[in-house]
Amino acid sequence: MNDNISLAKILIEIGILWFVYYGILIFARGTRGVYVLRGITLITLFFIITKQLGFERINWILTKIFALSVLAFLIIFQQEIRRGLANIGQRRWSRFFLKESEIIKEITTACFLLSKRKIGALIAIERETRLENYIESGIDIDAKVNSELLMTIFMPNTPLHDGGIVIAGERIAASGCLFPLTQNPKVSTMLGTRHRAALGLSEETDAIVVIVSEETGGVSVAIGGRLTHDLDRESLERVLSNLYRPDKKDRK
Amino acid sequence: MNNWFLNNVWIKIVSLILAIITWFYVNEELIKEKQMTKQLYKSSVISQIRNPSYDKKPVK
Repeated sequence: MNDNISLAKILIEIGILWFVYYGILIFARGTRGVYVLRGITLITLFFIITKQLGFERINWILTKIFALSVLAFLIIFQQEIRRGLANIGQRRWSRFFLKESEIIKEITTACFLLSKRKIGALIAIERETRLENYIESGIDIDAKVNSELLMTIFMPNTPLHDGGIVIAGERIAASGCLFPLTQNPKVSTMLGTRHRAALGLSEETDAIVVIVSEETGGVSVAIGGRLTHDLDRESLERVLSNLYRPDKKDRK
Repeated sequence: MNNWFLNNVWIKIVSLILAIITWFYVNEELIKEKQMTKQLYKSSVISQIRNPSYDKKPVK
C-alpha cells in the first residue's frame, strides 16, 4: 500500500515537472529565447554530468556561473516572462468566453470587403507554431479581431498597410510584419510578393495565411506550402473553421 | 484526444526526459542532505554524551 502511494507520489512529481518543462518549451518555441534555453539545457546537463563524475573544480565554476545566470536569465527573458505572466492571468479565463465563429466571421467579412474594393491584404493566423519572430518584425497591435480594424489596417497609403498581420489566439498581435518569401522554384512566376510571402510563411510554420489579391481581388489561402486560389465566402469560412482552433492553442 | 498525444510529440518527449533527470537529481540531493543532517545530529549527541558539562552554565 505504502509502495503504491510513494510510486503515485513519484509519478505526480514527475508529471508536475513535465508540465512545467512542456510549458516553458512551448512558450519559448518560435521566439529568440529558444536558443538561450537550448544553451541553458546544455550547461545544466554538463553540470549534472560533472557532478556525477566528481569533477569538483569544474562543478564549482559552473555553480558560480549558475548564480550569475539567474540574473542574466531574468534580463534576457524580461519580455517573455512579463508576457507569460500576463497570459496566465488573462488567457486561461478568456478561453471560456471565446467565440471562435465570431473571429472567423470577422476575418471573412474583412477579406471579402477588401476583395470587393481590390485592396491587398495578408493575414497570418497562428496555430501550434508560434509566430513570435514575425510578430517582432512588425508593429504591436494587440487588439480584438474585428473586420473594421482589419480593413483599416490594409487601407492603402497608411503606415501599417505594408506587410502582413498576425492573428494569435483571439487577438490581432501585430501588423506590418515581414514574412519570408518562398524559395520554391516550382512556384509560378506570375505570383506577386504577397502570395510568395504567404507561401513562404506557410512552408516554415503551420500558420493559415489568407491573401487578398490587389490585382484581381481574389481571396486565397496558403497552408503547408500550398496555395488555394479564388475562394468564395463559404469556402473560406469552412477552411478557417476546420483549421483555426484558438481555444485549443497552447499559448502560455 | 488522439490529436493531443500526436501534437508536439518531440517537445513532450524532451520535457519528459528533462523531468525524469531533474527528479532523480533532486531526489539524490535530498537523500544526501538528509544523511548529512543525521550525521550532524549524531555527532552533536555523541559530543554531548562524551562531554556532558558542555551545555551546563558555569557555576559561580
